[in-house]
Amino acid sequence: MTKKWSFKLTPTRKILIALVIMSLILAIYRLATGLGISTNLNDKWPWGLWIGFDLTAVALAGAGYSICFLVHVLHIERFKIIARRALLFSFLGYIFVLATLILEIGRWDNFWRPFISWGIHSPMFEVYMCISVYTFIQLIEFAEIFVQKFSLTWYRRIEKVMPVVVILGALLPFGHQASLGAIYLIVPHKLHPLWWSSLLPWFFLITSFFVGPAIGAIEALWSGKIFNSNVNIKILRSLIRISGGIMVAYLALKVFDLINRNAFQYLFTGGLESSMFLLEMVAGIILPVVICFSPWGTTKTGMVTFGILTVSGVVLRGQDIPLPVLNGE
Amino acid sequence: MSKAVLVDVTKCVGCGGCTVACKMWNDLEFDKSMPSHSENPKLTSKNWTTVTYQKVNKGGKQVWRFVKEQCLHCEDPACASVCFSKAIKKTPQGPVVYYPNLCVGCRYCMVACPFDIPKYQWEKVLPSITKCQMCVTKIKKGEAPACTSVCPTNALTFGDRDKLLAFAKKKIENGDKYIKHIYGEKEAGGTNWFYISDVSFKELGFPTNIPKEPLPHYTHEYLKLTPTVFIGGGALFTALSIYTRRRNEIAKEKEGK
Amino acid sequence: MTVREGFEREKKITRRRFLKILSNMGLVGTATALSGCSSEEIGGQGWLPEQYNVAGAWPTQVRGRVPIDPASPSVVRNDEKCVLCGQCLEVCQNIQSVFGYYELPVINDFVCVNCGQCILWCPTSSITEKHDTKKVKEALADPNKIVVAQTAPATRVGLGEEFALPAGTWVQGQQVAALRQLGFDKVFDTVFAADLTIMEEGTELIQRLTGKSNAPLPQLTSCCPGWIKFCEYYYPDLIPNLSSAKSPQQMFGAMVKTYYAKANHIDPKKIFSVSIMPCTAKKFEAQRPEFNSAGEYWKNENIRDVDAVLTTRELANLIKKAGIDLTQLPEEDYDPMLGEGSGAGLIFGNTGGVMEAAIRTAYFFLTGKESPKSVFNLKAVRGLNGVKEAEVNIPDWGVLRIAVVHGLKDARTVMEAIRRGTAPYDFVEIMACPGGCISGGGQPRTAVPPSDEVRRKRIASIYAKDTSYMVRESHENREVLALYENFLEHPLSHISHKLLHTQYTSRAEMLKAKEMV
Repeated sequence: MTKKWSFKLTPTRKILIALVIMSLILAIYRLATGLGISTNLNDKWPWGLWIGFDLTAVALAGAGYSICFLVHVLHIERFKIIARRALLFSFLGYIFVLATLILEIGRWDNFWRPFISWGIHSPMFEVYMCISVYTFIQLIEFAEIFVQKFSLTWYRRIEKVMPVVVILGALLPFGHQASLGAIYLIVPHKLHPLWWSSLLPWFFLITSFFVGPAIGAIEALWSGKIFNSNVNIKILRSLIRISGGIMVAYLALKVFDLINRNAFQYLFTGGLESSMFLLEMVAGIILPVVICFSPWGTTKTGMVTFGILTVSGVVLRGQDIPLPVLNGE
Repeated sequence: MSKAVLVDVTKCVGCGGCTVACKMWNDLEFDKSMPSHSENPKLTSKNWTTVTYQKVNKGGKQVWRFVKEQCLHCEDPACASVCFSKAIKKTPQGPVVYYPNLCVGCRYCMVACPFDIPKYQWEKVLPSITKCQMCVTKIKKGEAPACTSVCPTNALTFGDRDKLLAFAKKKIENGDKYIKHIYGEKEAGGTNWFYISDVSFKELGFPTNIPKEPLPHYTHEYLKLTPTVFIGGGALFTALSIYTRRRNEIAKEKEGK
Repeated sequence: MTVREGFEREKKITRRRFLKILSNMGLVGTATALSGCSSEEIGGQGWLPEQYNVAGAWPTQVRGRVPIDPASPSVVRNDEKCVLCGQCLEVCQNIQSVFGYYELPVINDFVCVNCGQCILWCPTSSITEKHDTKKVKEALADPNKIVVAQTAPATRVGLGEEFALPAGTWVQGQQVAALRQLGFDKVFDTVFAADLTIMEEGTELIQRLTGKSNAPLPQLTSCCPGWIKFCEYYYPDLIPNLSSAKSPQQMFGAMVKTYYAKANHIDPKKIFSVSIMPCTAKKFEAQRPEFNSAGEYWKNENIRDVDAVLTTRELANLIKKAGIDLTQLPEEDYDPMLGEGSGAGLIFGNTGGVMEAAIRTAYFFLTGKESPKSVFNLKAVRGLNGVKEAEVNIPDWGVLRIAVVHGLKDARTVMEAIRRGTAPYDFVEIMACPGGCISGGGQPRTAVPPSDEVRRKRIASIYAKDTSYMVRESHENREVLALYENFLEHPLSHISHKLLHTQYTSRAEMLKAKEMV
């Protein structure tokens, strides 16, 4: 229990520290010179690739909530063992997203305005509010783990509010994951018809829900290796199965949506958009589903491959959707 | 009463006076590399309005047409609806106005605008969005916007929206001088700047794929569910949580027995 | 909302106004701003001229500005200096009758006659000539180029004003000296070419008068490129009335690269021909594709008759930048062969001058006799009246009915009469700029807008010199006579047709002229 804390400067850590220092310098450069010089963004590309990273990062950081939902709302006890890891991962993820956003908005000194001046007609407002509150919630959830070691009184107090916190913690991400998709609802004429759909919020929501277990699995497997605290592989298997099941539903909804909007015709036009879309669907959804329900999917390598493919699919989608928007075509 | 401007493309002679008036009134810098009127001008944080010299085909003959571009001041503006700090608002007088003090700088308005009007001060440390304000301070005083007040040929007419729209309709229906389309009457649910022309708007370089429905409707369809989802979801989750916990407890008790 | 209501509303303390006041109050203001209550919209921090700060879009006398072709060879505008005062529009529409006299929509042209009057009216110098000084400087620096200059009649009574001399000061000799100091190899006189023009145009007039030519009467002068373009735009049906003789500038350009080059054994490709003009339309004229007679003569497309045109102001600028004080220069003479000018050629520089010069020679040509005193002082065509009419009695021939017009709006009146067939004239002189070349768009901006006082002084200076000249008739210019003897044979000869005459093309397709009522 009381292992002495030590910090060894391994090569990996050296690289990571170098990265952190570099990022800090870049961040300062960005704040000092404005967005134009440091990011090469311009009027034609007001969001650039950044927004893709944001979308992806938020979706991936959502890993925490789907597992928390499984554990704390549905009380599936066998996943409890990975819940904390997922929570930590998610918390770090959200902090990363917040830091990125602060650098990304032009008036970072004004980041607090929406708390006072409510633009409730914007999906961005919902994202903003949900993320802010959710990060706070995560802080409390995290505090529960943290104070456990120091103060029993505080732990008790926090434990009392935990049921509410947990419910909110599961509910809020539903809101902002969906709202992230809703951001693009207003540009039907700018988005490619393969992607624009009035169901966009639901697609985003479902995606973030199935990517959670996938990430959780990878994270569990890798951290298990590194910290030597193996999670029962059976648990991971069932976790991935849940993910795969939702993906099947997602796929079905996608197909329904394409047919419904008469957008199937764009699927095989061979342009950049259709190839990207196919890649996203085949490599990011269909393949993982196949792996998930195949015998190979029960091995560790299979699970990691499943996870990586799923995550790549989400990353890809994060870049695909905003691409034509920003192109202004 | 909502104010509007009617642009008669056939009357513009390309003097560019409107772009200069805009710069004078709004105290915008002149940038030689970014002329505000030329064959290929760009709206920028310093050019809130531009005039494009467009060579178009009319009856088999190549002719000059001059197209003024600026914010069209939508009746139900996408930019204002997506602004999550309400830094852009539709005023009752018509102009869609930007308040820099409230802006967070997310640039969602730039993405959402169907006409790609808002531009950004990329070079500034604490930048603002920029776009035509329709000289809202002038309009509130009962004056015409700067650009319209200097137009030597009356290519720009300022007035009440309803009256101007009726006026424009009468104009295009009279004879065959104009094509039968008022750009801005229905685009994006209607705007406070209209254009009439004798050549097609597509040829003049106007975006023609703008939905006729006000764009904020698309998000509203989703956002109106929010309260229901939150309250309903909260209730559902709580119920689920209580139910599953109880179920687990019962299961444990059974095991214990 | 009425104006009155508008005022009352302004006075009320609204929430916004209250906050505006607050925000100017240091700590409190900062606090307001920080708390998110400050709601100042962007923009509206500048100003506009008074006439535009009115309730609604009221019609005003002067509103906006003229359109200027970005590709115009004559005029450019710097938007940064434009204050939208509307003066360019005032002169273009109400004095030159160019803007506002064509139907909208425009067709495929920025309708402009290149006269440059807008430059003279622009209070902020936002509109200027398109500068060609760089081109000239490069030619001067090129040792392989023989740079020759011709100076228009009017520049010698304007250039001095750029050096603080009184309006109309005669600086012909100093101008020649300055050009030599700038590095021009030869300095010639456009007055020479003006005399040549009279020989051709006068002969042409007589052919028309005597029925030897089918061309219609009245004959219209063609030495003003602003007027020519105006006629091509608005009166294409009257193009046959225009004299086919080129303007003095273009005649000179053709001669220096043919006659002069040949006689002096100079490679015409080496000659860089610069003209110093009081005019911005001359820049346009020199660029007309058809003005490459020397090129056709030598069968070399690259040879242009005139390579660069500088306005009086541009020349002054060159002189000042070279550190030369014009007022301190000695008076020098023009170079021979193309340098002699008569009093008749000199008075081309002001309104009525071409007419008077033509009469002096036509009288001689028609009667074979020396012209009488009265013809040397044709009061009726002098002065600043817009339309001047006169009848000249020529013995044994009859009465020659003439008219002199300056300023294009007045030209329009006369042209409408000619179109209707109610104009009784035989010969009409038209100059685009009020006052003629002495008040051309390239002249010093001594008074903005140009005043008649300045115009009169410049004109007086020219007539005073004319009176003092020994040779006051074009047909007595010895160098012109030598030119005919050695090269051109006689007026309207085959070769002079090739080198000194031209054709005009209708520009009616570029605009739809408004019906005149």
